[in-house]
Amino acid sequence: MSLPANDLEEDEVMQDWSSIAKLANDSPLAALPRRGEKDYEPDGTDLQELLLYRARDAMYSTLEQGVRGAVVKSRVVAYYDPQSHSAVVPKPRGNFLQTMGESDAQGALWLEFFEFMYLAERGTVTPCWKRHDDNNDGDIPLSIEDMYALFKDQQEMDNFAIYSQLKRLGFIVQLASPALSLYPPGLAASSPVRTASNALHRVLSTVSHYRMTLFNGFMYNQWSWYVRRYTSSPQIYESLNKLIQCAAVPHTAHQLYNDYSPQDSSQSLNITFNVWKPNPAFKKKLPELPDFQVATYNKNSTQQSFPTYKELQAVFRSLDYKFSFLARDSDTEFWDNNTYIDGELRSAKLEALQSNPRNKGKAKASKPAPPAKKMKGKKKQRTVSPQVEQMRRPKNGYRSFLLAVMDNGIISFAKISEADFGSEDVWYKPAPGQKNNTAKPQRQTSKIAA
Amino acid sequence: MSKRTANALRYKYPLPVHPLVLPELIVHNPISWAVWLYQYVRQCNALAERISVTITPEGNAFPHIEVRDPTDMMYLWDNGFFGTGQLSRSEPTWFERKQLELSKDTVGGGKQLSLEQITRSRRQQRQEFKQQREKVEAELLALRQQGVITPEEESKVLEREREKLRAYRESHSSLKELPGDDTSLPDDIFDDEGNLRRLEALELLPVEALFLTYALPILDISPKELIDSIISSDDPAALDRLLMHYTAYHHYRSQGWCVRSGIKFGCDYILYKRGPPFQHAEFCVQVLDSEDSKPYTWYASTARVCGGASKTLILCYVTRNSSPEQTRRWAADGKLADVLSSMSVGEVVYRRWVPGRNRD
Repeated sequence: MSLPANDLEEDEVMQDWSSIAKLANDSPLAALPRRGEKDYEPDGTDLQELLLYRARDAMYSTLEQGVRGAVVKSRVVAYYDPQSHSAVVPKPRGNFLQTMGESDAQGALWLEFFEFMYLAERGTVTPCWKRHDDNNDGDIPLSIEDMYALFKDQQEMDNFAIYSQLKRLGFIVQLASPALSLYPPGLAASSPVRTASNALHRVLSTVSHYRMTLFNGFMYNQWSWYVRRYTSSPQIYESLNKLIQCAAVPHTAHQLYNDYSPQDSSQSLNITFNVWKPNPAFKKKLPELPDFQVATYNKNSTQQSFPTYKELQAVFRSLDYKFSFLARDSDTEFWDNNTYIDGELRSAKLEALQSNPRNKGKAKASKPAPPAKKMKGKKKQRTVSPQVEQMRRPKNGYRSFLLAVMDNGIISFAKISEADFGSEDVWYKPAPGQKNNTAKPQRQTSKIAA
Repeated sequence: MSKRTANALRYKYPLPVHPLVLPELIVHNPISWAVWLYQYVRQCNALAERISVTITPEGNAFPHIEVRDPTDMMYLWDNGFFGTGQLSRSEPTWFERKQLELSKDTVGGGKQLSLEQITRSRRQQRQEFKQQREKVEAELLALRQQGVITPEEESKVLEREREKLRAYRESHSSLKELPGDDTSLPDDIFDDEGNLRRLEALELLPVEALFLTYALPILDISPKELIDSIISSDDPAALDRLLMHYTAYHHYRSQGWCVRSGIKFGCDYILYKRGPPFQHAEFCVQVLDSEDSKPYTWYASTARVCGGASKTLILCYVTRNSSPEQTRRWAADGKLADVLSSMSVGEVVYRRWVPGRNRD
């Protein structure tokens, strides 16, 4: 099947630099340049060499255009702290403050190592090693090579690569942390009630399973068909679909609560990052639940193999993000009342923030934003037929996470979601108006026992 | 009659077992109760005569499970899309096609092309187009090697050639009937009286055959006989594999999906919501043991192939809740209900995720 040309992902097409330099200088409003022809392999001709040279030359000349460098006055210095393997910015300044790092009481910003690395690579901060003498100007600047030498292991490096890839594409990325959760605090601890209900559930399911086995033993007896009578096709399906047990997939908040078990370090696959879609209203201190969660996996590592079903299930159980099947993304009220930040409800925290007289001005400024968002959500709301909805459910699945696969520096993402075919009956049900059809004489009557 | 209503009538029943046809029950008319009751007791869902299957060669690693009777072949296809015609795309239509083809001299004129002919003619068109394109590329390379062309000229030449190719494609877009390619068939496709012989059989997948004898009373072979004749006793792994695949097959069939082999898309099964004549398959299913872990490339390449055909890849993990020895013992004793009740399935959707497309 051939796909239309516009189906090619923009991220995956090489950039064409050949006219960007001209564009930047001459007419900034001109249309983007068209991409050149693609040569698939070297054909040994001078012409190809010439084309390649021109393209390269265009790229270098673009890069050389304009003044590059940092203004000393606006330089932001970050110091590496070997003890905590992180970095501190004593005088933080810049856009990155909105989404990265954590401020302490002194107003300094602490960055995770991968954040530090990312900002240093981009040239946003100047990385330095703090000399612990008294004179301040004796700091040792770090080069990018020095920085790379500070990575502790391969996994940290992979995580950094995945982090920076997502950051460069505009996503907001933070380390996954239990402080931000959909689940009320204390849920994870196995309360006696929960253990008891689990035990009861287990007993009940064993009993029902035993009963099902008996039923199936009868149902699939060769002679049972002469005893049983079905008056519609759905009945036949309903008696058939009891044979195979299906995994229980949580669909509601209550089921999610019961199935939740926080991740522990013994798992072979863990959620590393929380990812939000680009959002200018993002609040670092009061984040919403993340849109995605990312687990990282190195394809070439001998210690890791692709997760088995049990390992995937462990990850599903530990997921903690904006489950799209619970409520719409635009339903801010629902999410605020179901997000716990450090054990406190987000809605309560937001209220406290707004009632705080010091923040009054700020709160007012940020207030008009949510209604606008809601309007947008309403616009998108379209009614879909139940059949379409039914086909969407198994396609989208329920709980899902992103598996970031690192293969020799090339990152690819896979969305792994839990599907539940066992809860969807897709057999054909004639619409009420079609009933006349079924009453027509059958073509295959001779086939039916008389 | 439109194609849609014709199809709806033809494929009215999703399974080869039909529901009972009962007279209307009128509450205030006791005679209607009696008629109803009489019909209810007299009728039966099972077929009057089971469909006979031939398994050849017995005990082979790749046995063929064939249904040879033409009425039975069509019955299995019309009622749930079971099996594949050996000489057809899927519906066993070889005999009718061949007859139509042979009668062409007498009828002549605009004839309707069969699905197989359309596929063949499309493939040939595509191949011809590719040959044209290769020619253009070779010409361009020759020009480059002679060094008589500048980049600007080249892009002009390319534009011109592309225009030509487009025109070529448009002028060749009508489908035409190609001569038959039945050269691989034996010479004696006619019997002594000069009539076309029915060479085609409907071939069933092992899981399909098992479903039709174990879950539904259709084939004239018992489940145990079937398993014994398609799986040799010295290969327990093959038995495990069959039971695992059957678990998945039964699971989807019993939820109402039309399950067919997914070999064209590099996976185990494809799921149609109603059946091939109604819409494209939506899902590709790979059946895996819950302990399985394949190399990442396997998942990625399967997902690419399925994604390329705009289908969703489902990894169907089958968990065995009893030991393999126990399962094999049950299977040997013919206690398939015990085996299958001890299995459970869990599904995972594997989909490539492109960051740039999921930003907002």
